[in-house]
Amino acid sequence: MIVRGVVLSGITAVAFGLLYQVSGWSVAIAGLIGMISWGIAAPLDHLANARLLGTFVGAFCVGAAAEVAAKVKQEPSLVFLVPAIIVFVPGELAYKSMVAFLRNHFVAGLEAGLTAFLEAGAIAVGLALATALVRPLLRRHGSPPRHS
Amino acid sequence: MATRCTPDLVPRVLKVIADAGAALLAGGAEVARVEDTMQRLGKAYGVDPVEVIVLPTALFVNAPGGTVMRRIQRRAVNLAVVAAINQLSRDVSVAPLPLAELEERLARAREARRYPPWTVGLFAALAAAALSQIFGARLVDMLPAAVSGGLTGWLRQVLKATGLANPVGDMIAAMVAVAPALAVSLARGPDAGIVVVSGIMVLTPGLLITTAVRDGIQGDLLSSAARMLEALLSAGAIAAGASLPLYLFFLGGGHLG
Repeated sequence: MIVRGVVLSGITAVAFGLLYQVSGWSVAIAGLIGMISWGIAAPLDHLANARLLGTFVGAFCVGAAAEVAAKVKQEPSLVFLVPAIIVFVPGELAYKSMVAFLRNHFVAGLEAGLTAFLEAGAIAVGLALATALVRPLLRRHGSPPRHS
Repeated sequence: MATRCTPDLVPRVLKVIADAGAALLAGGAEVARVEDTMQRLGKAYGVDPVEVIVLPTALFVNAPGGTVMRRIQRRAVNLAVVAAINQLSRDVSVAPLPLAELEERLARAREARRYPPWTVGLFAALAAAALSQIFGARLVDMLPAAVSGGLTGWLRQVLKATGLANPVGDMIAAMVAVAPALAVSLARGPDAGIVVVSGIMVLTPGLLITTAVRDGIQGDLLSSAARMLEALLSAGAIAAGASLPLYLFFLGGGHLG
């Protein structure tokens, strides 16, 4: 089950990478980052009530791995970040919320919508924390700050 | 480090710097990267000091001898442009090219596109098909999801080319994305919700969310807030677009899981 999810999230990351015009090896690395992050995050989802934690850990892994890949490949980290983060976007919940509102089920709509909002927050915090922590570690002492 | 650039060349160099910055910003780069690249280009060509201000929708570059401003209104995610200009600025800071060659390479980098336009539908279809399986759809739902995603991605690109405002294009594309799912639900029963989600996910403003976060931790709060707003606007437009056909469908007594 998790293996299937890992493969599929890799395919998703590669497809979105191609959609955003990422090329060659970089798109393969983005796919790999997507796979690893999903593989780490998915088991957390199966723990009781830990969906937000799973999303946070997934986004953190994507962010950290993308910084490393950007340093190694000397490419902008966005090239790896953007395709790999898509699988964690709570599109399903946003849709559920929308449909509930359309059917006048306001409580259910608010519940799903708020959960989606918190998931988006978890992604943001994960990415931010990863960038803020990993980038200084990768910066060599003495060399001026630069954006890789 | 290059020698100082002669005063008569300064306007030309500033124009190149502004063009590079504008292309990066329109392609979706973070503000810090745009400013960094512009400063590096300035240093490499001996325009020093060079002052750069980059806002989400405009940029200014100033040096003794001239000021150039650019407004950026049309944005389209293209990481190939970001990577190409990044590479160009790296090359230039190692060994400055002649100005004419820089202009030529920049023109090529701004048009950078790895895959021909018609492939967008294909990649979008692949993305939607994979996402539908992640969301737990049945194997047979892969086909309608792929159709929905492909159609959505292709339509958005066509609409963008006509010069329509981005949110309006997103809205119309989201409307169309719902159609295959409705067809499935009419043919087979009410569990096609996942097909809608997979199709619409192609429109997700993933880059905006990512850059908003990165701008935020860099301290470029203005840009962070603006991009957050753009992402919200885009998400709202997508929801509104998808809602209309779904609403009519529910009014007509349809069911969709």
